[in-house]
Amino acid sequence: MDPAEVEFLAEQELVTVIPNFSLDRIYLIGGDLGPFNPGLPVQVPLWLAINLKQRQKCRLIAPEWMDVEKLEQIRDQERKEDTFTPMPSPYYMELTKLLLNYAVDNIPKADEIRTLVKDTWDTRIAKLRLSADSFVRQQEAHARLDNLTLMEINTTGAFLTQALDHMYKLRTNLQPGESAQSQDF
Amino acid sequence: MPLSQKPMRYGHTEGHTDVCFNDAGSCIVTCGSDGDVRIWESLDDDDPKSINVGEKAYSFALKNGKLITAASNNAVQIHTFPDGVPDGILTRFTMNANHVAFNADGSKVAAGSSDFLVKIVEVADSSQQKTFRGHDAPVLSVSFDPQDAFLASASCDGSVRVWKIAEQICEKSWPLLQKCNDVVDAKSICRLAWQPKKGKFLAIPVEKVVKLYRRDTWEQQFDLSDNFISQPLNVVAWSPCGQFVAAGSVGGCIVVWNVDTQECLERVKHEKGYTICGLAWHPEGSQVAYTDTEGNLGLLENVCGADRKQSNTKASAPASKDYDDLFDEDDNEDFLNRDFIEPQSSPKAVTNYEDEDDDLTVASGRPRNRGAIIEDDENSIDLGLLKASSAPDKQGEEEDQESLPPVPPQSSTQRPFYDGPVPTPRQKPFQSGSTPVHLTHRFMVWNSIGIIRCYNDEQDNAIEVEFHDTAIHHAMHLPNSLNHTMADLSSEAILLACESTEELVSKLHCIHFNSWDSNKEWTVDMPPDEDIEAICLGQGWAACATSALLVRVFTVGGVQKEVFSLPGPVVSVAGHGEQLLVVFHRGTGFDGDQCLGIQLVELGKKKRQILHGDPLPLSWKSYLTWVGFSAEGTPSYVDSKGVVRMLNRGLGNTWTPVCDTREHSKGKSDHCWIVGIHESPQQLRCIPCKGAKFPPTLPRPAVAVLPFKLPFCQTATDKGQMEEQFWRSVLFHNYLEYLSQNGYECDESAKSRASQEQQNLLMKMFALSCTLEREFRCMELAELMTQNAMSLAVKYASRSRKLNLAQRLSELAAEKSAELAAVEEPGEEEEEDFRSHLNAGYSNTPTEWSQSKVRSLQRQQSTEASSEAEEGEEEEDVSEEAKPMTHDPPQCRNATLSKSAKAVIVSNSQGRVNPFKVSSSQKDPVAHSTSILDNMTRLPKKNPAPTRRTTASKEKGPVIKPLVPKPKSKQAAAAAFFQPRTPSSEKKTTTDEKGAKTEAAPPETQASTENGEDKRPKTGFQMWLEENRSLILADNADFEETEIIREGMARFRVLSPEERMTWTERAKGREAGDSGERKKRKHPESVNGDGQESPEQKSEENNSSAKKPKPADQMGIQKLSAFAFKQS
Repeated sequence: MDPAEVEFLAEQELVTVIPNFSLDRIYLIGGDLGPFNPGLPVQVPLWLAINLKQRQKCRLIAPEWMDVEKLEQIRDQERKEDTFTPMPSPYYMELTKLLLNYAVDNIPKADEIRTLVKDTWDTRIAKLRLSADSFVRQQEAHARLDNLTLMEINTTGAFLTQALDHMYKLRTNLQPGESAQSQDF
Repeated sequence: MPLSQKPMRYGHTEGHTDVCFNDAGSCIVTCGSDGDVRIWESLDDDDPKSINVGEKAYSFALKNGKLITAASNNAVQIHTFPDGVPDGILTRFTMNANHVAFNADGSKVAAGSSDFLVKIVEVADSSQQKTFRGHDAPVLSVSFDPQDAFLASASCDGSVRVWKIAEQICEKSWPLLQKCNDVVDAKSICRLAWQPKKGKFLAIPVEKVVKLYRRDTWEQQFDLSDNFISQPLNVVAWSPCGQFVAAGSVGGCIVVWNVDTQECLERVKHEKGYTICGLAWHPEGSQVAYTDTEGNLGLLENVCGADRKQSNTKASAPASKDYDDLFDEDDNEDFLNRDFIEPQSSPKAVTNYEDEDDDLTVASGRPRNRGAIIEDDENSIDLGLLKASSAPDKQGEEEDQESLPPVPPQSSTQRPFYDGPVPTPRQKPFQSGSTPVHLTHRFMVWNSIGIIRCYNDEQDNAIEVEFHDTAIHHAMHLPNSLNHTMADLSSEAILLACESTEELVSKLHCIHFNSWDSNKEWTVDMPPDEDIEAICLGQGWAACATSALLVRVFTVGGVQKEVFSLPGPVVSVAGHGEQLLVVFHRGTGFDGDQCLGIQLVELGKKKRQILHGDPLPLSWKSYLTWVGFSAEGTPSYVDSKGVVRMLNRGLGNTWTPVCDTREHSKGKSDHCWIVGIHESPQQLRCIPCKGAKFPPTLPRPAVAVLPFKLPFCQTATDKGQMEEQFWRSVLFHNYLEYLSQNGYECDESAKSRASQEQQNLLMKMFALSCTLEREFRCMELAELMTQNAMSLAVKYASRSRKLNLAQRLSELAAEKSAELAAVEEPGEEEEEDFRSHLNAGYSNTPTEWSQSKVRSLQRQQSTEASSEAEEGEEEEDVSEEAKPMTHDPPQCRNATLSKSAKAVIVSNSQGRVNPFKVSSSQKDPVAHSTSILDNMTRLPKKNPAPTRRTTASKEKGPVIKPLVPKPKSKQAAAAAFFQPRTPSSEKKTTTDEKGAKTEAAPPETQASTENGEDKRPKTGFQMWLEENRSLILADNADFEETEIIREGMARFRVLSPEERMTWTERAKGREAGDSGERKKRKHPESVNGDGQESPEQKSEENNSSAKKPKPADQMGIQKLSAFAFKQS
């Protein structure tokens, strides 16, 4: 899967916006949205929120977890534990990236949040690499990783499986190679 | 009472804090590392007054209205208290001062600084300073000997020294503490303290004990210690009576000892275990305020409650001595005198405050006292408190404190001699949806249109207007050079107003952004000495209420319109559409209550006043916090207890509580700040504020939506819930009616949806009552239903085998449809009235007319009568005779009533035709004739209903009272019981009838007597008429039914007696046969009767019924009733 596809999926997540226009309920394939009352918070999918925001038709309200204190806790927890900790949202990275790109003026302490989420992300990716490394080293047949988000799986998933394939090929080739060692010369 | 620890609250930012009470004990004062000194009226005070004294405040002392602070600029400053005006610098150090302290009379201040020095300065004359050198490290704390002879100080060099003030020498030095380099490194700040009054002991917190040193000998007397204390003690404070010592530790323990017994009385642990760095006793002694290094403020109540009693007298006496110094001596004496004199007169006057005042003016012997009270309010506070302190029970004081509006404290109005109801300070005028004026960043208004914010700091004094809907207007930024404090916003204009200053008069400033010309702004100056106190905008107009008790109305373009006077000082105004709502003070409230009145004026085409200054209901001890209109235009308001009330136009403009916002807030100090009310959909828009009454401007608060809930009982049950929903739906759709009445176009679909919803709920409730076997309740619910729902209800009832209920319901349905019809034909009604006027003098058929009048009367009687009718109806079931009675109940009732008094026999005769009853019926010929004519006009079946025309609409009239079939004495009694209730006019018509009848119908008496009063079986005349009807009609084709009868009667009279007799005989014989048949068909017919015969009648009486399109109704009923009885 493509990161763009993952992001696309993340855009289905609901976020709260405060519209500055008035519109009746709109009926879409994915479900009904609205009604939009100026000044009244309403839940819409991220793609619509970003669209409205870009047209300056709404103010975004950061998700509850997008808060310096909570993210610090999450980061610390993530650093403390060896395994993956549950994330506040399955699309935390995508949400953070999109919201901070398009609605940075509506999110207090945006820079700190960006850093914190990146820290958490880095920690998790490091863990992932580490576990992939030990997986390969110990030549395990299977491993179980909980609480990974789609985007994280996506970062290593394709590469890891391909690499394992290659390694498998190499290993299987290694056996006949050993017997025909003399071929080198 | 046991000690109670109030929850801590945020006071300052993290860092060192200090705390004390003011002299009167009415407020808590704290300082913190944010450089602010805050004055808290109580622990729950959400809006403390802040005085900024510097970048950091290390310590402060408070006495005699002087606030001495040690701030980070190395100076010791004076501020006035409570205003916080800087009053100069007392002294300076080369480093910051760590502790400042007053001496007992407040004339001198001691300060210990980080530059190793201790100074004593005269407050009045800062040039008189004494410097004490000797410490080798920063001074931690200082304390004055109450007798002003010594000064104690503790320092980081580990020593505690006692200085002789006069000689400026060190009297004694103890190496008690651990040495350190700086205050921040010190384990303990070692706030030592002298015992008040005599200064017999000096208490020094050393490690985990409090060491007490005796004055003069400087020997350690004893230690106060406790196992509870696990970490070094930081502060020590003596109670004002000198009997108790409180100490706070680094680990958050607070311990109180009784010095005399050295016994530990109280042990309290800080809820989070933070370091206690400030500790202060209330001047009355039962409260201890404390602060920690995290900036939190806490309060202990009822400290040493039990032990205090003995020491009470001791405690208050010296305290009063302290206060004496504050008073002008003369006044003071007067007050003391008063205290003694008053008890004799006060019992008479306690009940009435006014009385008391009168008393004072009349009592010429004490004019000076009165003057003193009025002029010197401060004195009266103090004495009031002293008195309170000597009163053993001070309950309620706390309550008062927290419930008071954020205006002057309660105590300022307290009189020492008066303990009746205390007048509440009037709440100040406010703008709905604004936050307090003194804030530098505040909301001037937040309503359904947008937000107006005001910034008033050093760099900027501006107003920002933002619209929720950017389609209305883009955001605006306005300079606020006039210092506007009030604002309102509508979809066409912004209205701003400022109060007058010394140079400028009060101004109203309007920005009419919706205007199509280029001049969008106008201002109006108020007359001098008139301040604008509240403003509002409506549609096309603006209004302001002023201090001159005037409401001035302007057009939105700036034309002055109406001006009218208010009955009292304004509290708030609000506008919506054409409606102007004014809340004002109707009088003085007592004991925390406000006394408000409300006026609602319509400024539209028909200008009228809807609420005429009615009292505004508020919760106990609350004040108004928001007043305005729902988006749909219904007046609503919110009080400080969080109860939202809305005008119920459907119940004579009463106020109904629709929401209690407190139910939705989690914590006790959380509030909801209302920004709007919407009736469709039902939304209460508010901003939840954590630990505050109003939101800050940053971070931008988010609006939440709360549901409405009427305070109905037992809403946990289905029944209660549905009742609540139903009445809420009714209440919240009142506006539709109001709007349509006032010529606004309104959404028909909303109306029908509302009614649909209500009917659904009614049906549910109906079904619920049905399953609970509550049939009476079902009936009551059915009365609220519409026709359609009612037919459903009938269906439901019959399906669930509740035949009795179904039958009653169908009757009710019939009654309702009749009512509906009556409303639809008001012209007819009038005509009938007109006829009844004529009635008295003339007519062959007076019954018909008078009858209709009786009918209409009876219709008004409605429910009461119908229950009667139902009662009677039961009997009808039994009685075979009863069937045709449905035709004209009221008349029958008349007959019954008039006779009931007469005798049982008479009514007996009604049951069956008795030819031998001649004599008895002749006794009452009038009544007979009435019934005879009734018979004629209301022939049940075969007769083509002569009087149908007039009675058609009422045939299913409410009252279905049969003749009394079984003349039991019980029934007679019952009838007699009902009699008084029938309107007198009814009786009158009866007599009218009587008069008319005796003239008109003498010939019939004979014939009719034979038939008795029985109305159902046909009389001879009727049979004759049937036969000869065609003849009559042939002669006079255009005759109406009544005329036919009249004519018929004339012709019948011409017949010979013999012929008449034969007709009568025939009638009798026929009746015998009929009755048997009827018996079988019995009840169903009685209900269906009319319906069934109506079609044929229709054809027959074509001409007569042409005017009245009744059949539709009848058909409906017929269907209903047919349905109801299908099962049986």
